[in-house]
Amino acid sequence: MRGRVPLARRALFQDRRRAALAAGGVAAALLLVLLLQGIFDGAMRQATAYLRASPADVIVSQRDVRTMHMSVSALDPATDDAVRAVDGVAWAEGLRYTTTFLVGAGDRQQLSYVIGYDTATGRGGPRRLSAGRPPGPGEILVERIAADRLGLRLGDRVGVFGGTFRVSGLFHGGTTIANSAAFIRTEDFAAGTPSAYVLVGARPGVPAGDLARRVAAAVPGDTVQTTGRFAREEAALVRDMSADLMRIMSTIGLLIALAVIALTLFTLTLAKLREHAVVKALGGRTRRLAAVVLAEAAWSVALAVAVATAAAVVLGAVVGRVNPAVAVAVTPAGVVRVGLSALAVGAVGAIVPLRRVVAVDPASAFRRAS
Amino acid sequence: MSTVSVRSLTKTYGQGDLAVAAVRAVDLDVAPGEVVLIMGPSGSGKTTLLLMLGAMLRPTSGTVTVDGVELASAAERDLPPLRARHFGFVFQDFNLLSALDVSENVELACNLAGVTGRRAQERARELLTRLGLGDRLRFRPDQLSGGEKQRVAIARALANDPPFVLADEPTANLDSAHGREIARLLRRLATEDGRSVVIVSHDDRLRDIADRVLWLEDGEFRQLSPAPDPVSST
Repeated sequence: MRGRVPLARRALFQDRRRAALAAGGVAAALLLVLLLQGIFDGAMRQATAYLRASPADVIVSQRDVRTMHMSVSALDPATDDAVRAVDGVAWAEGLRYTTTFLVGAGDRQQLSYVIGYDTATGRGGPRRLSAGRPPGPGEILVERIAADRLGLRLGDRVGVFGGTFRVSGLFHGGTTIANSAAFIRTEDFAAGTPSAYVLVGARPGVPAGDLARRVAAAVPGDTVQTTGRFAREEAALVRDMSADLMRIMSTIGLLIALAVIALTLFTLTLAKLREHAVVKALGGRTRRLAAVVLAEAAWSVALAVAVATAAAVVLGAVVGRVNPAVAVAVTPAGVVRVGLSALAVGAVGAIVPLRRVVAVDPASAFRRAS
Repeated sequence: MSTVSVRSLTKTYGQGDLAVAAVRAVDLDVAPGEVVLIMGPSGSGKTTLLLMLGAMLRPTSGTVTVDGVELASAAERDLPPLRARHFGFVFQDFNLLSALDVSENVELACNLAGVTGRRAQERARELLTRLGLGDRLRFRPDQLSGGEKQRVAIARALANDPPFVLADEPTANLDSAHGREIARLLRRLATEDGRSVVIVSHDDRLRDIADRVLWLEDGEFRQLSPAPDPVSST
């Protein structure tokens, strides 16, 4: 049952066209922020897809190398055995790793991280193949989206390292707008290529953190991280690369939202000044009227966030269909972040209307309407 | 019994040579159940006096005492609850809130007086039904005639069950039939409910329902005239 007359809601939605325009304007601004954030969240998710699917508990890399993206790592050939000898290690597998171009049909090129792994255990490869089989000698696994870009199908040949590999299988996940991943046998890297990373699995009951400390003691010249930590570092790298752009675009979006909210509340408050005076004359306290303005701001923001979220989800799906390499991840955390920012913007936008409401003289209710 | 007592009430706007006295040393007592009509030319200080009576304007000097509470010296934060507790206001322009329906306009006044929820809804329905608007509860103000709007405004003025009703030109925007209807209604508030009603108006027709008619000119009461027997005029 209603406790008090919902004055804010009634006033805001009295003119539905104005309310729709205001909410639409704010929603469009928030949509910009949500979409951009979603694109970067999606990129982060794609960038860490391999690590999140990895069975490893710990990853060893060259000293101070903490990521795979934008990194070059080379380990001492003795590292694999040194790690295997650590108490609590169930298995350890070296990965070969480099960045190169895959060359497909019609000389189409795709920048790609190429990972060499032990196909006998499969631990360093993709979790699941969507088509084909693991690579044999002279064969390669290509990500589906990258394969589409390159015009490749199973059995086609793709240029890598100046030679060609036959596509033996396809997997899903890991292609971003900038790059992709591909997998070959360890033995197909040039002879003598050192491991870039060592994936380490823990024995049952050994926590990843403990294992990382033990391995770090065994290979003090290298960097040892839990897989979770490694994935967070990877995500942070993507975030850092996009931070400035995100900040600028988010600021622009929020400023537009601020302008629309402020203008809406200001015009609404001006239109209702006499009615605010009447409420004061009838015994309404200033704080009640202030609450009305703040509630109007909150309603505007809530409506706009809801519309923007729905639009972002729909647009994200459309973008994903048009360009599968661009994943738009509209996450609850992202929506909450945008919602809180929008609430802060709404509060700022309410300042001038609040000042007008506080200053309303109840006696003005007795002035003749023009 | 609730009374309003005004002593040496003065309101001066501006200072020095530019000072203008809108109300000058006015004395007035209003008894329960009494209808007092204050008339006078435009700019005579009628509305200023009404605003001071209703705790919306602080006097330059003098006192307004309502049920033993001195309004002129009350703290600013105490004035809204004083208004919500003691006064009902009727405006010339009705001043209904356009975004609310008829019932909500009355409920809002209940809310301001501390009555909420179902009790406020019941109170609003009861008052509006009493004033012949039981079938208009969900109408918007712009769907009502002038007379109906003013009746809603009167219902709103009664929402907090005030001992005093202050009406500013309540019939000015109404045709003669609706004007008479509102006048009779204001009379009933005094006769049946024992409320004190102070009306500021140019409308001579309201003389018929007043117990006293006061003539305000240049901020001072110039003459006091007895009014016709209010009982016979209803």
